[in-house]
Amino acid sequence: MCQHAGVAAPPAPSSILALALLLAGQAGAQPVAYALDPSHSFTTFEVLHFDTATIRGRFGPLQGEVLLDRAARRGRVQLAIDTAAVSTGLPVLDARLRQDDMLASTAHPQAFFVAEDFSFGADGSVAAVTGEFTLRGAGRSLQLQALRFRCYTSPVLRREVCGGDFVATLPRSAFGITHSLPFVADTVRLLVQVEAIRQTP
Amino acid sequence: MFRTSLIAAALAATALTSTGALAQSATYALDPTHTFVTFEVPHFGVTTNRGRFDKKAGTVQLDKAGKTGKVEITIETGSINSGTEAFNKHLQSKDFFNSAEFPTAKFVGDKFVFNGDKVAEVSGTLTLLGKTNPVTLKATNFGCYQNPMLKVEVCGGDFETTIVRSQWGVNWGLNFGFSDNVRLVIQAEGVKQP
Repeated sequence: MCQHAGVAAPPAPSSILALALLLAGQAGAQPVAYALDPSHSFTTFEVLHFDTATIRGRFGPLQGEVLLDRAARRGRVQLAIDTAAVSTGLPVLDARLRQDDMLASTAHPQAFFVAEDFSFGADGSVAAVTGEFTLRGAGRSLQLQALRFRCYTSPVLRREVCGGDFVATLPRSAFGITHSLPFVADTVRLLVQVEAIRQTP
Repeated sequence: MFRTSLIAAALAATALTSTGALAQSATYALDPTHTFVTFEVPHFGVTTNRGRFDKKAGTVQLDKAGKTGKVEITIETGSINSGTEAFNKHLQSKDFFNSAEFPTAKFVGDKFVFNGDKVAEVSGTLTLLGKTNPVTLKATNFGCYQNPMLKVEVCGGDFETTIVRSQWGVNWGLNFGFSDNVRLVIQAEGVKQP
């Protein structure tokens, strides 16, 4: 995966459109566009404190789009996370996390995840998504593994919704966040809840 | 013979007393900055909705030698924080926690199971909406450490349990197929008191 130190901007909508056209050009392939549902799209992080108990915090709502072609077993996702919106339940800790040596929210107000490498289970459900996670301007490869995935018709929205719970782990030091090591662990677990609403009938 | 057994009895009594003296119960105040209860509940079988209670307080009595303990934690149900204001409001309403009428929930645990010197399980009761039912918390992590900032011992762990919400009368959505089972994941750290 490409790694770069610069600020990564999310791909322009035109590239999504281009990909949609590309996917549509394939025989029988029907890519469907979905937009993340802000009330059911969050990331919770978990990190162990003094090898004793787990600190948790929430990011979100996540903002982004998904293109999914379940027949061709292809997909694309791009999502953005406002780093300043971190919520641990402790305003003092939230403020500390936004500082330059942690999330660096002033210099890097957003983190991004962009992925085109989708793997599917035998039943056509998304099993894993691998792409690039950019935090504090540092891009690293990240794999999200699906704990569950399903599409359903939302009785509230009366639209198809596809979503799942995903899990990923990353070493925070790879993104330059080394504060409080080793008392607070290097390994951070991400629990990602994503539900995306179909945009076309 | 009699004299020997008397000495033996005296020694035994001394041994018992000294064991008793060693088994000292210490009090730990739950550190609100490292103590949180998060609930996890399935959403249409697709994803997991989470919410966190931001206001809570409590104490723990822990006798590591005697392998006993007692914990009391009070949670302000109105402090539920899911990240979605509309969902928070719904959770605070009569459909769920009825926070206006029942502002707090309380867990009292007095049966501690140890695995070696680590707490493995805490059983007690959870009182919510005026109803009290038994709950067992299983530890997935437990440890005690000397906190370098506070310069005192801190004991804590991760605990989890799955409760059946209808036991407390929280029935909203069951008829639409929403889950009756709610998983609770708990981070707890207590600071040893002088």
